[in-house]
Order: sequence, then structure tokens, then C-alpha cells
Amino acid sequence: MASISINGVEKRFDNGFHALKGVSTEIAPGSFTVILGPSGAGKSTLLRLINGLETPTRGSLAVAGKPIDHANLRAIRGEVGMVFQHFNLVDRLSVVTNVLVGRLKTRSWLGSILYLFKREDMDIAHEALDRVGLVDKSWQRADRLSGGQQQRVGIARALAQQPRVILADEPVASLDPVTSEEIMQLLREICARDRITVLVNLHQIDLAKRFADRIIGLNAGKVVFDGTPAQLDRTALARVYQREGNQDDEQLQSVLAYA
Amino acid sequence: MTASARTPLPPKPFNPTPVWLSAWIVVLWLIVRDLDLSFATLAYGVEDMAEYFGRYHAPDFSDLPHYLSLMAQTIATALWGTLVALLFAVALAPFAARNLTPSSTAYRTSREMLNFMRAMPDLLLALIFVASLGLGPLPGVLALGIHTAGFLGKFFAESLERIDSGVVEAVRASGASHSQIVMYAGWPSILREALGYTLYVMDRNVRMASVLGLVGAGGIGLALHDTLRLFKYDESAALIAVILVVLLAFDYFSTWLRGKLK
Repeated sequence: MASISINGVEKRFDNGFHALKGVSTEIAPGSFTVILGPSGAGKSTLLRLINGLETPTRGSLAVAGKPIDHANLRAIRGEVGMVFQHFNLVDRLSVVTNVLVGRLKTRSWLGSILYLFKREDMDIAHEALDRVGLVDKSWQRADRLSGGQQQRVGIARALAQQPRVILADEPVASLDPVTSEEIMQLLREICARDRITVLVNLHQIDLAKRFADRIIGLNAGKVVFDGTPAQLDRTALARVYQREGNQDDEQLQSVLAYA
Repeated sequence: MTASARTPLPPKPFNPTPVWLSAWIVVLWLIVRDLDLSFATLAYGVEDMAEYFGRYHAPDFSDLPHYLSLMAQTIATALWGTLVALLFAVALAPFAARNLTPSSTAYRTSREMLNFMRAMPDLLLALIFVASLGLGPLPGVLALGIHTAGFLGKFFAESLERIDSGVVEAVRASGASHSQIVMYAGWPSILREALGYTLYVMDRNVRMASVLGLVGAGGIGLALHDTLRLFKYDESAALIAVILVVLLAFDYFSTWLRGKLK
């Protein structure tokens, strides 16, 4: 069974922006997929749909065979960890509390309001921090960490959910090249060791080619490429990054020359 | 590139500020004229005021311990009032923040409740509560609590609306419930601001509590009310001095504390 299935999904926002114009695909369990595409192509929208943060205008989505609808929204979100470009940690909470946010889905109303967590939740958070190598920073405030460390806390938070799927929306866009490399390796390692399906939006073609099992190219809300990194040649890239009404794009050609 | 080859600057947008400014000046002048405010009457009034204030020249501090205990009661009224306000505000603010509210009905209802509480002047509330509950500090506590709950709730809600939407989304994306989002993404992000607002409201409530006594809601204001009615200028002067000194001290204290928070 596919880990994520996307069936004819369209998304039109209230302001009239047509972000996705009919996307259908299946993501295999335990695979590492990278989505490439220019800004505004609908990459983020697609990830947000898979976590139920947006609802499709048409079409449907399912995670591990369970369709995403209003009734099981929280259950689906619990199985889908999310990693963000700007990390989105709660600045004033400690690192370990930020990771424990990933366990909130299992906690009672009163317990979570009082910031009480079970021993086993604490163990899960501890292990997640160990995986990202930040156990020694556990009790520091999240905003005291560097960007790369904050992103690793973000990944630990997703891991603490013990998810089936991790969605990462441009996880390295705010990081330097070396840190980016580390974060991508970490995501790759999580995918391989825990058999978690990982879906990453990226702007870096080289990282995509090196880390992905499969690359999906989105342009103006449509899938324009779907294949292995080896299949992503210059003509395919030109298709992915082509700008509307600009068939003979000089900038695009000079960028692709270095890709 | 020569100047003529440049893309011409788009036309400058119209700046309405001078028009508004002159309109406001005209309106203000009309108001002053209509109310017949004149500097001449003010100048005559100064002489009368000087004579009246002269009657307070000899404050009588013989009953100082009593005055201080009344002042303590006033401060207690203010603190309890602030606590009541805080409870109401913490309960209502998450519903009145657009980004955290569970539904638009909850948003509208809580906003209107806060607006209503804020719109009821605390002096009026105190009069109502004194009439229904009798003299004493309790009506003062309720009046201050309800009125300032409206302020605190609005301040909190607006701070909550300013928190990073990504943080809210991250907590929501983990499968957290509404109350968990409020507790983990909401309050921790605005804790410092919220403490600052609470201190400010407490400061304001201490000032207001001294006046609330005038309508019978306990504390030092009640004593001042009595001495003024009996034309006991010496005792009134002492009471006013106690109020001023304590209020100033409290003001410095809360300013210092708020400075520490920054």
C-alpha cells in the first residue's frame, strides 16, 4: 500500500490563486522523495495538504490508506511529522519541551495544560534528541541555539511523534551549505533506519540529486517531471524551472549551465 | 546610461496628511469656540483655586497608622481586582485571538464580552455593586476586576495574534488539540508581554482603588470622602499626602519591575 496517495488534487485559494491544478501520485512507504520547482509552483501547498493544514478544492488525499478528512484530521497529523524552513520552535520553551510537543497528541487535556508528561513520553523525547545529537542542550531555551541546531530540534520534534511520514518544507533554505548537508544526511538516515517515508521540498538541485530516491518536479501547479535523479537532465530541469510566457529564458539557461 | 533613457518615475501619490491636519485644527477651534472656553476665566479661577488649596496647609498626621491600614486595604482591593481580571482575561483571550480561536462564533462572543467589560466604567460598576452588595472592599474588587478584565483580555488577545503563525502551525501540525496549541504555542510566546500588561493594569488599579472609595467601595477613598464632607481640611490633607506618596512609590516599583522584564 502506498504511504501517501494523492488523487486529482486541486487547490484554489480564496484570493483566486490556483496553486495546484490536478496532481495525482503515489509515494511508496520508506522512500525518500524530493519535490523541486520554482517559487509559487505549489510545493508547500502540496505538503500542507498532506498534513491537513489545507483542504483540497477538488480531489482527495490519503496517508497509509486512511483518507484525510475533517473527522480524522488530528489522527493523521499525529502520524505525519512536519519540519519547517524557519524551524518554528517555541522560542521560550526548553529544547526538550519543544520535542515533547510531538507527544501532545497522546496526552490528556489536563496533563498537557499543566505541562506534565509521562515517563515514556520523556524517554521518547530523550531518544529523539539523542538521534539528532542534542541531548546536552536539552534544558536550554530553544532560541539560544544556532539555526542548524534549531532545525535538528525541529526534526527531533517530528521524530517524537513516531510518525509514518515526515514532510520537510525547504528544511535547509535558511542554513549554510555544511549545515544543510548535515540536515539532509540526518533526514536520509531517519528514512533508512526507521523506514519513515520522507518527502522534502527543496530549491537545491544538487542536494536533490544526491539524496533523493525519486524526484518530482512541480511547475505552476502541475507535475512536469517524475523520475529518478539520473533522469533529471537539463531538458527536464528546464521544464521544471521554466517561467510562464518566457520560453527563451536567458537567466534559466545560465542557471542550468551550472546545475 | 543617460537620464533620458531611464524608465520615468511613476507619478507621486497624493499625500492626504496636510488636508487632514488642517481639518482637525478647524474642528478643534470650533469646539473651543462652541464651549466658550477662554483664558480669561481660567486666569480668574486660578486666584480662587489658590485660596481653596490654602485651606489644606496643615496636614494632621495624628491618625497615621489608621490611614496606612486603610491604604493597605486599598492596595489589597487593587491586587484582588487585578487577579479577578487576570482570570477572566486568561480564560477569554485565546478565544478572542483570530489565529487561535476555534470558531468565528467563539471569536465574536468573546470579543463582545471583552468590549462590554471594557465599556463599563469601573466607577459605575462600583456604584452598582455598592448598592447591591453594601459598602466595603468587595464591590471595589469586582468593579476593578470586571472593567480591567476587558483591557487585559484585549491586550492578551492582540499579543496572541502577533505570535509567529509558523509556531502555531508547527504545534497544530503535530496533532495537538486546540487547548494544547494555546498552552504550548500561545502563552509561552507572550509570557513576558502579558506580565508587563498585568503589572501596568495592577498599577492602574491601585490608583483607581483609591478613588473608588469615594463611592463607598472601601479603602482610603471612603475615609477621604468622609473628611471632605465634614470640611476637615487637615485630615483630608494628610490622607491625600498618604495616597500620593504610596501611589508614587507603587508607580516607581512597577516601572522598575517592568523594566526588569525587558
